[in-house]
Amino acid sequence: MSLKRREFLELAAATAAMSMVGLRAARAQSADVIRVGIAATGPRTSDPNQTTQGGDNWATEQMYEQLVRPEDGTFATTPDQYVPTLATEWTTSPDAKTWTFKLRQGVQFHKGYGEMTSDDVVFSFKRAIKEGTNTTILSNIADVVAKGPYEVDIQLKTPDVNLLGTSIFCNNTSIVSKKAFDKIGAEKFATDAVGTGPYELTRFDNQWGVAMKRHEGYWDTKNKAKIASAECVYIADTTARTLALLSGDVDMIEAVRAPGWVDSMLQRDSTLKFDMTAPGSFNTLHVNLNRKPFDNLKVRQAIMYAVDRHAVADALKPMGGFTAGLQPDFFPAGFKTEDLPPELQYNYDPDKAKALLAEAGFPNGFDFDSNCSQREDYSSIMLIVQEQLRAVGMRMNLHIGDHTAYHADNHMDKNTLALHSSSYPPIPTQLYFQQLSTKSEVKADGKGGINYSHYGVAMPGIDGLLDKALQSTDFKSYVDYCKQIELQVLRDLPLIGMSTLSFTVARNARVNLGYDVKSGYARWRFHRATKTA
Amino acid sequence: MGRYLFLRLVDAIPTIWLVLTLVFIAMRILPGDPAIAALGDTALPEQLAQFRAKMGLDVPLWHQYLNFLYGVVTFNLGTSYMNGASVLDLIGRNLPYTIELTAVAMIMGVGAGVPIGVMAATNRDKLPDNGVRAFSLFGHAVPDFYLGALLLIIFALNLRWFPINGAGNGFADRMYHVFLPALTLAMVKAAFIGRLTRASLLEVLGKDYVRTARAKGAREPRVIYCHGLRNALLPLSTGMGLSLLATFSGSVAIELVFNRPGIGRLLIQAINERDYGVIQGGVIVFAIVVVLINLMMDLLYIVIDPRIRVK
Repeated sequence: MSLKRREFLELAAATAAMSMVGLRAARAQSADVIRVGIAATGPRTSDPNQTTQGGDNWATEQMYEQLVRPEDGTFATTPDQYVPTLATEWTTSPDAKTWTFKLRQGVQFHKGYGEMTSDDVVFSFKRAIKEGTNTTILSNIADVVAKGPYEVDIQLKTPDVNLLGTSIFCNNTSIVSKKAFDKIGAEKFATDAVGTGPYELTRFDNQWGVAMKRHEGYWDTKNKAKIASAECVYIADTTARTLALLSGDVDMIEAVRAPGWVDSMLQRDSTLKFDMTAPGSFNTLHVNLNRKPFDNLKVRQAIMYAVDRHAVADALKPMGGFTAGLQPDFFPAGFKTEDLPPELQYNYDPDKAKALLAEAGFPNGFDFDSNCSQREDYSSIMLIVQEQLRAVGMRMNLHIGDHTAYHADNHMDKNTLALHSSSYPPIPTQLYFQQLSTKSEVKADGKGGINYSHYGVAMPGIDGLLDKALQSTDFKSYVDYCKQIELQVLRDLPLIGMSTLSFTVARNARVNLGYDVKSGYARWRFHRATKTA
Repeated sequence: MGRYLFLRLVDAIPTIWLVLTLVFIAMRILPGDPAIAALGDTALPEQLAQFRAKMGLDVPLWHQYLNFLYGVVTFNLGTSYMNGASVLDLIGRNLPYTIELTAVAMIMGVGAGVPIGVMAATNRDKLPDNGVRAFSLFGHAVPDFYLGALLLIIFALNLRWFPINGAGNGFADRMYHVFLPALTLAMVKAAFIGRLTRASLLEVLGKDYVRTARAKGAREPRVIYCHGLRNALLPLSTGMGLSLLATFSGSVAIELVFNRPGIGRLLIQAINERDYGVIQGGVIVFAIVVVLINLMMDLLYIVIDPRIRVK
């Protein structure tokens, strides 16, 4: 058959057009895949013992499990709220230093790597303790010992009544297969780790993302994943991510945590659903006690009365949340405003702020410099703070700059009022240790921690109370000491709980997660999710 | 010719060295700590120190610089601070996407730019000419990232003709994915090349030999394409070379807007994360591309105009 040039061109054009149609059809949303758009450029690792980037935890959350977990969509605020997962039961010694876990039998690893046993648990913990990315919190673990194939002892250096929250339900101590690690090697394990979760890894592409398929041998037959595949697609650019959701390319995206974002999204598509954790991240304002006049308690109290913290939280609505102290009121050490002594309630009162400034020797206020990150959540909060402080005479010259540079400068003690955003579970001592203890004091050479206020050094701090909390052998004493820390911090004001900011996901209404997201880390599981085409 | 090529490549070495040295210094002057960027701002001092030691960031700057130069000459650009992947491997995986985008954009840009330039020149001061000039003005004025977002909203989001992000798999899927980002870059290129073609052709069409050709009875298409356009190619080729460079560097913004893999996106990510090895590797690629494109243009001159001889 002969083909003239024109016929050939027409045929080629038709073939190309047909292939495009085919591609479009293939791309159309299927009910068999749930796809989330992650706010980062690419995955770094699929090895849960080694993750450093929050976005990677969306995939690890589906592929791996810990010995215990809270109910989906929540944080366990007390130890009794954890539910058995890879462990079926656990006991604690009276001194809270030895924890014994009985392992679930018959749990299968992905890809035919066999049954999970205590060897895998010991291996996962020891690797996380020795070379993981959360070594400090896990450094309290003295040893992890197998007591037979289905029982493990975790021995601690000092008591920890919160071990389930601090170390067991922790991404870095997810259980991975020792057999797989030994077989495929450390390097490949970073992109092909093997777990027990409801989904198993099928593709790791550090340009695109992570693809997973349902783990058919999942131990919890009632909660076997309903949707056949899950994909974490990395889309760093905000516009591209938003368009991907609106076009249906992805089912859900990590939100931009900026004022007005949720409203603007609803204007584009009123059917969108928003899942939000409370509290999300804690936005704390460090007052540098080594910078005058912030060494003066009256000046710090003036800040508390000058800044309307409810207004800050409202400005970030619906993602913003108010905290009377440092912890939200539903966390174990949290207070409601009305439960605080009147002098520590610090209700918004600019006149009182002015009076305190006058008493401190600044009747006309003062000028000072402060640095801030350009990231939306940081800059939004600090611009509000700037306006409110200006109203009482504290004129803050705000230098807004690159996020990475901002944190590097803070680490070298170059700031005055340093806003910091961190995520914490309901384990209050983690925030106190990192942001208030003497051991975490910031150093000018950058070798210190993130106690940017120099609390405990520039003035007596909470080290003694923190030690007592950490030595507690019962949960009630632990909480009591933490509440005392909250009150002392409100008296001394080295650190101000400015607001919380929910981790938020915008979701297509066709996807039903199967549970409500109320609290928890910035990742949620897909195994109960269903989707209509 | 071989000797000429070799000497030109040797000449490029000091340029590349200078660029690399400047980038090395700039990255160290830029505030920000790679260790904090990699481990997070709540990382503890001992974790940060351990990271710096592992990545060779705890040795004096001159030592880091020598390590870096040694790495370049031994083709070992180190590993990414963020995921431990080899920098060469990362570049190797990303570069094809950028080349693909640049090539398709250039084909579309030149393919549209030259004909509209010819059309404008041969219809001087008439409607087609005014139209081309208006399009050219638009192409010069509109930033490519804005145009990209606009095309994305119209053709991908509203009409759903094209995908929103990614690069696709397999030839047809990749062409499908690259079309819209390439079109964004190509529209700007077509405007530039169209205007250049018009100006260059108008100049040539006024020459004596064109008048002579017409006087000898040559048909108008032959006058335009054989006598006119061929002689207008030399200045046009310079413009195309510049355009190719601009397209390659313009891919940075477009890769971000369309969420495509590529050297530009890799570089932006690395700068945000202070991932020195990847930044340096990315800059080497850009420096080499600039040198090669310049060299290619010089060789093209020789092909287009045999009167230019290699000395």
